[in-house]
Amino acid sequence: MSSAHDKPVNPDQVVLWSDDYEGHDVISTRTFGFWMYILSDGMLFATLFAAYGVLSYSHSYYTGPTPAQFVAPWYTFIQTMALFLSVLAYGFSMASMKTGSKAGVINGMIASMVLGGVFLGLNIHDVLRMISMGITPEVSGGLSAFYALTQVHAAHIFVGLIWMLVMLYQILKKGFTEDVVGRLISLRMFWQFQAVMWVFIYVFVYLWGYMS
Amino acid sequence: MSHGHSNPLQHPEVQMASRSSYLAGFVIASLLMLAATILVSGQVLAPFALLLTIMGCAGLAAIAQMYFLLHIDISEHNIWNTVALVMFIPLFVITIGLTWWMFSQLYMRTMPMIPGMPGMH
Repeated sequence: MSSAHDKPVNPDQVVLWSDDYEGHDVISTRTFGFWMYILSDGMLFATLFAAYGVLSYSHSYYTGPTPAQFVAPWYTFIQTMALFLSVLAYGFSMASMKTGSKAGVINGMIASMVLGGVFLGLNIHDVLRMISMGITPEVSGGLSAFYALTQVHAAHIFVGLIWMLVMLYQILKKGFTEDVVGRLISLRMFWQFQAVMWVFIYVFVYLWGYMS
Repeated sequence: MSHGHSNPLQHPEVQMASRSSYLAGFVIASLLMLAATILVSGQVLAPFALLLTIMGCAGLAAIAQMYFLLHIDISEHNIWNTVALVMFIPLFVITIGLTWWMFSQLYMRTMPMIPGMPGMH
């Protein structure tokens, strides 16, 4: 035992703890790894929620507009429904994959992209409306935090839509290979997690901001 | 691979997809968000009760989405995803909670009232 501690480890001669290494289950390993990434992404949102939390006091807006003056709850509720329906369509797409139905997966993915595009379009329209009213990030610390949190989420949606486009191409070109199936599952988790984060953004930023 | 399958579509990650489960997650989360929106736009409750209610809606909607959409459960295949999430939640809550608490204490002791500004909450 003591000799093993005295000698430096030579990487060329190191013996792995398992002799009968069978190889990992690729899809399970990658899926778990991507879940780790998603939780790290959750910590990114945690820092932005914390920043919004400390910058949503009355003095954070100084004498400028507060969310109570520029948030429209029903408009943002329609955005919420577009995102939830998009996640549902993606889920149905993945249910079609169980039987290997390419058409089912592609149709579900296109529906999901269209609804995600509606969410993003409504978001851009809302931002342009606010900018036209002079409500821009540089007006106050509170507005900087509001824009940072909501637009980082919107950027995730944009990346998700690009990813869906890439996956449509890969399904058509490569079919349901192990790599493609693994990526589709990672994207499913990514997309569903954006809906979970949106629940918190909608309730704690939009609705709470509107009522205070 | 280790299960002896060569067809990736037979993988449990693929086969656990379920239309009824995804639909349940969608309906529950949507109804909770609808309830929160109606309550907030109608201002029918006192502010503190309203805040507690919409926080409850957010918590339940997030749990429903985690369970029905992201398959966070204690099945053999998913248990490590669940363990990772359970470890993640304290980090998420502490990061937000402690930051908010520190700054609220700081503001309470240092922030002067500025004329023309609405009162602090």
